[in-house]
Amino acid sequence: MDPIDQNALDQTLNQALDRMWAQFLPQMEERVGLLEAAAAAFAANQLSIPQHQAASAAAHKLAGVLGTFGLTRGTVLARELEIMYSREGGPDSLLAGRFTAIAAELRRIVGSRK
Amino acid sequence: MSHRILIIDDEEDIRDVAALSLETVAGWDVIVASSGAQGLARAIEHLPDAILLDVMMPGMDGPTTFRELRKNPGTAKIPVLLLTAKVQASDQRRFADLGVEAVLFKPFDPMTLSTQIAAALGWS
Repeated sequence: MDPIDQNALDQTLNQALDRMWAQFLPQMEERVGLLEAAAAAFAANQLSIPQHQAASAAAHKLAGVLGTFGLTRGTVLARELEIMYSREGGPDSLLAGRFTAIAAELRRIVGSRK
Repeated sequence: MSHRILIIDDEEDIRDVAALSLETVAGWDVIVASSGAQGLARAIEHLPDAILLDVMMPGMDGPTTFRELRKNPGTAKIPVLLLTAKVQASDQRRFADLGVEAVLFKPFDPMTLSTQIAAALGWS
């Protein structure tokens, strides 16, 4: 492909991705909100099974999508959370602070994309 | 050469970005479905050249949908590529053993998704 055509294609795709990001941002923020709430509940030893399942699903979905919008670090962190939530016997209570820290970092990353 | 692709994924954001990518970058025709059951119906109706199939979906998941596609004489020979966010080696082996053409991973790069699909299917 001609470099000029490639640049035009990049621009067209990136503009469309920006519009899609704006469209789906509330959904991304909702998923991060689920992770923040689950982290708080876990730290208070009050994480219910439905909340655990919802957080695991939210982490899985964020891991799958954030990198597609260029947020590679977000995918790495969400994947780490997904693995922590899927641990046999439940999440490790010694890592409560890590759940909170990752959720906060995901909030920052999601908010940083324009 | 233009191709017709069916994307089956329950997650609207992934579905829309994949469709945008394949339409914009490769110029392919894209059909979408938001569940395994809807995907089966659309595959029978449209007979796409290939199917991009999400693994984790509520109700009929990707592997079950794949087996149903293979059971139907009309869709049995349509190439299927699984799309998954699972990166553990045991999951990857399990998916590859199903008999799909390829396993692609989320997150994908919208600029190169069509190239990955074309390479997996031997499309020039």
